[in-house]
Amino acid sequence: MNVLLEARRLEKQYKLGGGRVLHAVSDVSLQVHRGEALALVGESGCGKSSLGRTLIGLTQPTSGEVLFDGHRISGLSDHALRPWRARMQMVFQDSSAAFNPRRTVGESLAEPLRIHGRKNIRARVDDLLDQVGLARSVADRYPHEFSGGQRQRLNIARALVLGPDLLVADEPVSALDVSVQAQIVNLFRDLRASLGVACVFISHDLSVVRQMADRIAVMYLGSIVEEGDGLEVLDRPAHPYTKALLDAVPRPDRPLPPPLKGDVPSPVNPPSGCRFHTRCPIAQPKCATDRPSLQPCGVGRRVACHYPLVA
Amino acid sequence: MGADSLLDIQNLKLDLPDGRRLLEGVSFQVQAGEALGVVGESGSGKSLTAMSVMGLLPGLYASGQIVFAGQNLVGLPDKSMRKLRGARIAMIFQDPMTAFLPVRSIGAQIDEQIRLHQPRSRREARARTVQLLGRMGVPDPAMAAKRYPHQLSGGLRQRAMIAMALSCSPDLLIADEPTTALDVTVQAQILTLLREIRDEGAGVMLITHDMGVVAQACTHVAVMYSGLVVERGPVRDVLDRPLHPYTQALLAAIPPLEGPRPEQLPTIPGQPPTPENRPSGCVFAPRCGFVRPDCGVRPALIETEEGRRVACVLYAV
Ligand SMILES: Nc1ncnc2c1ncn2[C@@H]1O[C@H](COP(=O)(O)OP(=O)(O)OP(=O)(O)O)[C@@H](O)[C@H]1O
Ligand SMILES: Nc1ncnc2c1ncn2[C@@H]1O[C@H](COP(=O)(O)OP(=O)(O)OP(=O)(O)O)[C@@H](O)[C@H]1O
Ligand code: SF4
Ligand SMILES: [Mg+2]
Ligand SMILES: [Mg+2]
Repeated sequence: MNVLLEARRLEKQYKLGGGRVLHAVSDVSLQVHRGEALALVGESGCGKSSLGRTLIGLTQPTSGEVLFDGHRISGLSDHALRPWRARMQMVFQDSSAAFNPRRTVGESLAEPLRIHGRKNIRARVDDLLDQVGLARSVADRYPHEFSGGQRQRLNIARALVLGPDLLVADEPVSALDVSVQAQIVNLFRDLRASLGVACVFISHDLSVVRQMADRIAVMYLGSIVEEGDGLEVLDRPAHPYTKALLDAVPRPDRPLPPPLKGDVPSPVNPPSGCRFHTRCPIAQPKCATDRPSLQPCGVGRRVACHYPLVA
Repeated sequence: MGADSLLDIQNLKLDLPDGRRLLEGVSFQVQAGEALGVVGESGSGKSLTAMSVMGLLPGLYASGQIVFAGQNLVGLPDKSMRKLRGARIAMIFQDPMTAFLPVRSIGAQIDEQIRLHQPRSRREARARTVQLLGRMGVPDPAMAAKRYPHQLSGGLRQRAMIAMALSCSPDLLIADEPTTALDVTVQAQILTLLREIRDEGAGVMLITHDMGVVAQACTHVAVMYSGLVVERGPVRDVLDRPLHPYTQALLAAIPPLEGPRPEQLPTIPGQPPTPENRPSGCVFAPRCGFVRPDCGVRPALIETEEGRRVACVLYAV
């Protein structure tokens, strides 16, 4: 079976005080194939991290289900989830938090191997360091001795320890300098080629996403508004929101078009109809009342808009 | 060059008490009505340069010249510096929470800033605050002025901070990564604002990591590496035809948003030097693909063509 991860009609709500409910993820269905890289993009607060965490069972969906390798993993107890955990790992924005400051990085990398009763631990740690482009000798050093880029390599090594089938990387390069960012972007490409690991990249940077992902899902206020092949979505956006995001990226070759009107509406009280209609430059009366569902649009592409920009 | 610059920084050096040199000799100018983008490696000294202009670096020893409107700010007494700060030179930061106190409404804080430098009644100050917020595109500015910082979205907070910075119509606005934490759609609004400020005659110094932001908001650009300016010139020239090997490598490392997708992004081997192990020759030499024996002597920032300068032996005449 080619589908590694599948989400069906996922909802993630957070209960706020006073009976208010925040809709962080709303009716999301998607698939990640083996070895594939899918990117989740969208503006701050649109639900990317909530979706990413729900996908690998770090948080439970309010409703809907997640299937990993054909098995339902949503709703499982922590104990029942444990065997699956080794196969799905998360990489966070550059942080040393993942490493114990008082242990050498070699010890930290070895720990999960020991817990899972693996053998040849030292050789495996050497392998991991090779894979992420660090010298084997760094195993004897402490986390604070590393630069931001090196730390992110270590974070990736840590995620790879148990040989996962899926990595979910939440803003893996956004804290890094442009030139270091390029190294990590390349590293992910190499790892995918050599290990065949599938990736879900969460990012707000469209050019980074274009470089890293095979497929892109664009989110707005908790829902996917457009999904498809990365180059196609970014080169010929079908959803007005995708186009607005692309237009807002400052580029050398053209002046900035007029910005989107208004602010992002509150996910506590999302607009009726199409959630983008309050800011959409081409909205029609129907958009305020009827919610468009994700419909096929060309090959391998889906868009949730009554008036898509490409057919 | 320089005589009528709004800001003219010449050979600015900054030392720690223990003798480590953080800035190695920074030189650039900002003219009224122009915006200078300052880009470069993390840790290259962009923020330190900005803070030097603001006179906000206690404990560090500055030498060289920072001439603002004819007056050298290096060694200027704190009292005179305070008069300039906020009134003629203003600064905005990446995190607007650092500019506002959490316990007072943003309007009250902007009012106060206005009254600190100009003799105005409370009523007059508030009228100006509301007018400024409105100009920044803040919806319902009178209401927004009554809000506390945490009650505003990130984009609104950022606009409120810019309103505060502009409250006394400064001649020079320094912006240190003002849009890094913002979404692209909000960033686009802020960049449009910066452009207007410049059109009205203020000079802008904009620190950023984003070359697209430089292209959109700046007229000139200075590229810093390891405490030095290694290249500077008009934006178009530098972005279209970067001269310094570091500038070339920096631009090449940005993934393209259009056209073919490269297999691998070009990267710069190695790491930038720390102040302790900074090479005595060209600071980029250990990582440079064009390195040759004469790179062992520090190249000066020389003019290669009208308005363009580069510090690299490849362009020595
Ligand atoms: N534990 C929580 N309790 C309540 N609300 C939450 C919680 N976590 C997230 N939210 C809210 O849910 C929405 C989605 O948040 P999420 O972090 O998933 O967005 P995001 O797309 O990852 O944003 P960013 O780009 O800023 O990281 C936001 O409105 C956020 O404030
Ligand atoms: N007060 C200080 N004492 C010692 N070192 C300092 C001090 N302030 C800054 N530095 C060092 O000086 C160098 C330049 O710092 P600066 O903050 O100007 O870099 P930057 O170019 O703004 O980098 P970034 O892009 O990461 O913001 C860094 O190596 C930093 O660690
Ligand atoms: S459905 Fe209507 S409002 Fe929504 S994006 Fe399409 S055109 Fe705009
Ligand atoms: Mg997030
Ligand atoms: Mg800085």
